[in-house]
Amino acid sequence: MSSPIIPGPAHAPSAANSIRMVRLLGAVSLMCGLLIVATNILTKDRIQSNQETITRESVQELLPGIKKQVTYGLEPSGELKVLTGATGEGKKFFAGYDGTGKLVGVVIEASERGYADVISALYSYSPATQTIIGFKVIDMRETPGLGDRIKSDIPFLANFKGLDAKVENGKEVHNITTVKHGTKKNAWEIDAISGATISSRAVGRMLQKSVQDVTPVILKNLDRIERGN
Amino acid sequence: MTAEKQAVTITADTHPFLNGLWKQNPVFVMVLGMCPTLAITNSVRNAISMGLATTFVMVVSYGMISAIRKLIPKQVRIASFIAIIACGVTVVDFLVKAISIPVYQALGAYIPLIVSNCLTLERAEAYAGKQPVIKSMLDGLGMGLGFALALTCLGMVREVLGAGTFLGYPVLGSHFEPWVLFLLPPGGFISLAMWLLFFAWRKERAAKLAAAEATQ
Repeated sequence: MSSPIIPGPAHAPSAANSIRMVRLLGAVSLMCGLLIVATNILTKDRIQSNQETITRESVQELLPGIKKQVTYGLEPSGELKVLTGATGEGKKFFAGYDGTGKLVGVVIEASERGYADVISALYSYSPATQTIIGFKVIDMRETPGLGDRIKSDIPFLANFKGLDAKVENGKEVHNITTVKHGTKKNAWEIDAISGATISSRAVGRMLQKSVQDVTPVILKNLDRIERGN
Repeated sequence: MTAEKQAVTITADTHPFLNGLWKQNPVFVMVLGMCPTLAITNSVRNAISMGLATTFVMVVSYGMISAIRKLIPKQVRIASFIAIIACGVTVVDFLVKAISIPVYQALGAYIPLIVSNCLTLERAEAYAGKQPVIKSMLDGLGMGLGFALALTCLGMVREVLGAGTFLGYPVLGSHFEPWVLFLLPPGGFISLAMWLLFFAWRKERAAKLAAAEATQ
């Protein structure tokens, strides 16, 4: 480095110095960018197959004893389409069948904005009784120790064993609602976790919207889903 | 205060790994990285996960920073360090997702928080930006594990008192009424204060013993 053109404090950068800084920062950013892109390319397939496995396992967990799964995609027009993979964009649900090919239940994907970020979950639904029979959080960023208890709190998860989700003429008979901890009275109410009200309410909203959107389509196409095509 | 500063700056005679792990423990001695320390130590599992993820990012990014330290003009060093650390965090995010989704689900929320941990930047500035690659990586490993150790200490107090469990297993029996306060932010401050008090007491006692020896 030659002597600075403008005399001043030791840190004052000269023109030549500025170019050097810009070059260096550019090089560092480029290097980091390339590294991130390379990692993304190398891990993409692996991540997708991992997610596929996790989804399949979660469906299995929510509908114990099923032997076969069929993935249905919900087109915006309201049509159903059989999909080959378990991941990807768009609304989806999974039908589970036992060893004799009889429909056990349906697992539906749902998501809703929680306290920190979007909560995505799967819930199992029984078309025969029109009730929700299980619930599992797949991904969330809720506050550790408080909001994230929606995933593991046993009394909270007990809400989803037989939660009333009846629809008539394409509308829910009772909207699923989250009530204050300890005040649950009806079969369509969710007892919130104390200290995690916002996350509990998000779960209630998620189920209410999803039941309203998806279950009428399932009930309408029930014959087809029972055949598994 | 000056005496404390001096004690903290003596590094030459200590191994970089042990230095971070104990002598200059980032939480109990340097009081750095308070945001994750207070925010996510409400269970032992969270504390360990965060500590290990931070360790990994520190080791990798300090290796990179140290390798190019002579090329970085000092006016833009902070920007370069942040870019490299953020890059390391993103790579870790992808890798963890590819290796195991259950581990990602346990850690996922904390990985992006590592960038905003002032400890990672402070050690880049104070150590990795000046020292050779191997020493910098050892410093990252020691500091990271020291951070994990401190987080686990806090998480232990908070989980046992706040939920009556340890790593999710009940330890205090069904008669114990959990102090939910310890899972909430005030519990973080209280537990941290108790640990700092303990370390300060130890330090004072050591100083008194040394003084007594000197006068004899």
